[in-house]
Amino acid sequence: MQSWLRGIKMYFYMIGVSIRTQLQYRYAFVMNILGWAMTYAGTAITMWVLLYSFGAIEGWSFWELLFLFALSVLSWGVCVVLFFHFRTLDQFIIQGTFDRFLVRPIHPFFHFMAMKFDIGAFGQFLFSIVAVAMAYQRLGLHWNLWQWLVFLGAVIGGTLIQGGLLIAISAMAFWTTRSERFYWVVMWPAKSLMNYPLSIYPRMVQILVAFILPFAFVNYLPALLLLGKKSGIYPPYWGFFSILVGVLFFWLCFQLWMLGLNRYKSAGS
Amino acid sequence: MIGTLRMYGVFTRKSFQRAAAYRFDAWTRILGNVMMLFMWGFVWYALYQGKGSVESVSFHSMLSYILVSQALQGIHGAGTPLWEIQERVRTGDIAMEMLRPYDYPLRMLFTDFGSIFFHFLTAVLPLYTVIFLVFSPAVPTTLGQGMLFIISAVLGYFIRYCIELTFGLFTFWLVETGGVEDIFYFSISLFSGSVVPLWFFPDWLEQVALYLPFQGIYFVPNSIFVGQLSGKALLIGLFTQVVWLVVCYAILRYVWAKASMKIVIQGG
Repeated sequence: MQSWLRGIKMYFYMIGVSIRTQLQYRYAFVMNILGWAMTYAGTAITMWVLLYSFGAIEGWSFWELLFLFALSVLSWGVCVVLFFHFRTLDQFIIQGTFDRFLVRPIHPFFHFMAMKFDIGAFGQFLFSIVAVAMAYQRLGLHWNLWQWLVFLGAVIGGTLIQGGLLIAISAMAFWTTRSERFYWVVMWPAKSLMNYPLSIYPRMVQILVAFILPFAFVNYLPALLLLGKKSGIYPPYWGFFSILVGVLFFWLCFQLWMLGLNRYKSAGS
Repeated sequence: MIGTLRMYGVFTRKSFQRAAAYRFDAWTRILGNVMMLFMWGFVWYALYQGKGSVESVSFHSMLSYILVSQALQGIHGAGTPLWEIQERVRTGDIAMEMLRPYDYPLRMLFTDFGSIFFHFLTAVLPLYTVIFLVFSPAVPTTLGQGMLFIISAVLGYFIRYCIELTFGLFTFWLVETGGVEDIFYFSISLFSGSVVPLWFFPDWLEQVALYLPFQGIYFVPNSIFVGQLSGKALLIGLFTQVVWLVVCYAILRYVWAKASMKIVIQGG
């Protein structure tokens, strides 16, 4: 118990250092945040242009689609703050610098996680909070308490699911000495798929993202519940389970990471 | 002249060999490309549900549009990415290049040719041949149309190259390139018509896009390929591409000259 407390205290100390490092370059800090917000706004504009001529996609209007997209960006933002640097684990293994995470009196996973606290992700928050608020107003939504809980659950669950996948991808580096590549060719395209309603994809893909890489619980299933949409295939109450799926999936990915860690042999001399 | 060309040819050959040595990277890149193709395919399929043709474009043509667009993007993607150019400027590696007896923008172009040839021959060409055979989308019906598409695609490639390198060279003046980079990526993804053709833009936005150089990168060649651009409009499209290429090249040269001066000033 005491070691846990100490670990948490150290985590906050280290992210404090990371934040101060990033604040040293004010201009870079602001541009980083604005840059991320602009990138997402760009995707939103593309969606708007798409729906300008077509009206709707599978019965989803632009504002509903924007909500779906912003919901995933919101939890992705939290995930970027905490876990995004996990994708670069391969660099540490190749250069042999990973060893230093093993010899410190703190859990290696915690230590690696504490290495960076990416405040650039405030750009994600900026975009997604504005977008969700706009969609909320335009769609005339009035959520009651349990719907706000679903929303909160989707953000927490979404963070755990996407964070878990990042950790699983970084764990690949223990076996293959590659992780960043896997992120860009597997996770990034898979994440992009979820910007559009799941129901446009073939059944195989839907099963994959609902049960195996549970992206569906990040935004699509909660959004069905929050926007009051009906989908033939999915029972509406599935959106409640984001948090549960998130915890389970994160735990599995963490186990995989620990399995890889035990297998790790240093490349350094 | 021949000697110079041969020298640049060596860069192409070396970069081809390097791409062959790192073929894992080339093939993983195509995996990401195909996943994006998959996504856009289903997005357009869903958009066209219950509609025959929109803005006088059928789904059949649209499918062809995104296929050829993704194939071209796969080829463009094998070149040196923006961040790598920025990194070279930031770390000062570019200064070493300037000491050598060649023209840097030209050398980069020939280096990119090598990795693109490799990527095209081993990944894009075989894969997209199969995809085209399976889906049998609208393809150029005459040899002339095919040739014009190739010319247009090559012009588009050079336009993108000039713009990307120019943006990369801005790093000489900016310590942090975050914002510049995002403007570049946003423009190239929306205004080039890489995923949404300009036909579907609202009129005012289409007008904006038509006055920008980006449409020459994917939109013009893609439209020629699917047969939406023909006759006089096609010639105007090609002419616009040539004009933009000249303009972008002139800007690149100007920025490069300025950047070289900048190095001289800071050096020593």
